[in-house]
Amino acid sequence: MSAGAALLGGFIGTLVLTTTLTAASALRITRMDIPFLLGTAWTEDRTRARVLGYALHFVAGLMFALGYYAVFVTLGRAGWLLGMALGLVHGLFAGTTLVNVLLPAVHPRMGTPFSASNATPLLEPPGFMLLNYGRATPIVTVLGHAVYGAIVGVFVAAGGR
Amino acid sequence: MRIPVTTLRSALALKLLVFAQSGAIAAAATTSLPEGIGGERNWDYRYCWIRDSSFTLEALLQLGCPAEATSFFWWFMHATRLTLPRLQVFYRLDGGAYAPERTLPLEGYRGSRPVRIGNGAAGQLQLDTYGELLDAAFVYADKGYSLDASTGRDLARVADFVCEHWRDPDAGIWEVRAAPRHHTQSKAMCWVALDRAVRLADAGHLPRARAPRWRAEAAAIRRFVDTQCWSTAKDSYVGYAGGEDLDASLLLMAIMRYDDPDSPRLRGTVEAIRRELSRGPLLYRYTGDDGLAGGEGAFLCCSFWLAEALAVAGRREEAARLMDELIGLANDVGLYAEEIEPASGEFLGNFPQGLVHLALVSAAVALAPTAS
Repeated sequence: MSAGAALLGGFIGTLVLTTTLTAASALRITRMDIPFLLGTAWTEDRTRARVLGYALHFVAGLMFALGYYAVFVTLGRAGWLLGMALGLVHGLFAGTTLVNVLLPAVHPRMGTPFSASNATPLLEPPGFMLLNYGRATPIVTVLGHAVYGAIVGVFVAAGGR
Repeated sequence: MRIPVTTLRSALALKLLVFAQSGAIAAAATTSLPEGIGGERNWDYRYCWIRDSSFTLEALLQLGCPAEATSFFWWFMHATRLTLPRLQVFYRLDGGAYAPERTLPLEGYRGSRPVRIGNGAAGQLQLDTYGELLDAAFVYADKGYSLDASTGRDLARVADFVCEHWRDPDAGIWEVRAAPRHHTQSKAMCWVALDRAVRLADAGHLPRARAPRWRAEAAAIRRFVDTQCWSTAKDSYVGYAGGEDLDASLLLMAIMRYDDPDSPRLRGTVEAIRRELSRGPLLYRYTGDDGLAGGEGAFLCCSFWLAEALAVAGRREEAARLMDELIGLANDVGLYAEEIEPASGEFLGNFPQGLVHLALVSAAVALAPTAS
C-alpha cells in the first residue's frame, strides 16, 4: 500500500464521481452539481464557479483518498469491497452532514433554515440526503461515492503488490 | 393618486411571500380559500409559478431590489433543471417538482370543500409559461446581468421546445381542467418566447445558429393567431382558436408587446374585454365553460393588467382613474386576495396573492412619470 497509489486512485475516482454527477444532472436525474456548489462559495460568476468547483472537488477527492488510505493502513488490508464500504459511509456522511449541514453553514451564497427575510441566497440548501435537489439525488450521490471508494480501494490494493 | 404608497405596500407583500431559504416567491400564503363561497374552486397556491417569473423579475428590478431579482433568477433556473426543456407549471419552494394533489378531511372555509394540498395543475401543458420564462431571462439580461453559457444553452433548448410544441392544445393560463384548447394567449406567449430567444441570440446570450428557426416559427405563430384567433364580429382577439369567448388574459398581449399596444387590433381587444367582462373597475377572467361547477368572483390581477394595457397604449388618464378605483378596493393594510365579489366587495380566493401585487406594481410603474 502506498500514498501515491491512493492519490492516483483518488484522482481517477473523483473523475468518475464528478462525471457521474454531471451526467446525472445533464440527464435531469438530479439538480446536484457538486463543482457548482463548491465554486459558488467563492464566486458569483456561474462559469468561473464551475471551473473553480471542479478544481476544488479534485483537491477534496485527493484529500479524502488519503483518509481512505489511512483506514486501509490501520486495518492492514485494502480492496474494492472495503473501498466501496468506505465510499458508502462517505456518501451517507455527505448527504446527512457534509453537504446538508456543514456546507450551508459556511457557504456565503446558500440559504439555510435560519435565513432571515432579508437574505437573498443564490442557492437553496440541499436538505436531508440532498432531497431538495431531486428525489433521485441520494441514490446517485451515495452510489457515486461508493464507486469512488471502490476505485481508491483497487488502486491502493494494486499499489501494495 | 395613491400609487407610490400602494406600490411600496405591494413590494412588502411580495417580500413577505419570499421563501428565505431559496429566494422562491410563493403565489400566495394559503391553500383552499375558495374562489366562490361553498364551491369547489379551492386550490393550493403555496408554490412558485414559473408564470409569475417575468412579472416578478421586472417588478424586483423596477423596485430597486437587484439582489432579490438575482436570487429569484438563480432559483428558477436551478429549479427547472429537473424538467428542462419542458417546464413544470410550478415548483415547490424548495425547488422540488413533486406536488401531487390530494384532499384533506376538513370542513373548509365556510363549508367550501374540498380542501386541497398539492396542485394537479403541475402536470398540465401551459404553453404561456415558456414565454414568461424567456421574457424573464430577456428582462434580466437586458438590465445588464450576465447569462452564463450553460444557462444560455438551457434557454435555447426551451425555445426549441416551443418550436416543437406551440401547435399543441394546452390548459392555458387559467389552468382550466376542461379539455385542452388552442388558447390565444398561450400562442401569443409562444411568440413572445421565440421573439425573446431571437433577441437574446442577437445579443450573444443564446446560440445564434438557432435563431433562423426561432424567427420562422415565430412568424408561423403570428399567422396562426392573426387568422385563427381573431373575431371580426367582435373586433377582438378571442380566448381560443375558432371560438367567440373572450378572455381577460389577452390584455397581456399589449403588456408583452405582441404588437403595438395602440394598434387597431389590440385597441379593439381591450374594448371588447371591457364591454363583455367588466363590472365597474373589475374584470371577470373569461366567458364560457371551464369544466368546473359554480361561479367565481372578478379576477383582480386582470383589472391591473387592464390599467397597464391602457397606460402602455398612451391612455394614461383612463389608466390612472382605474388604478385609483382599484387601490380603493384593498383591505385595511393594502393587501389583495386573488378575487373579489363585485357586488359585496368581499375577497375570494387565496390571500395575499402575489400575482395581484405584481400586476399592481407593473401597472404603477407603467404609469410612473418616467414611463411616459
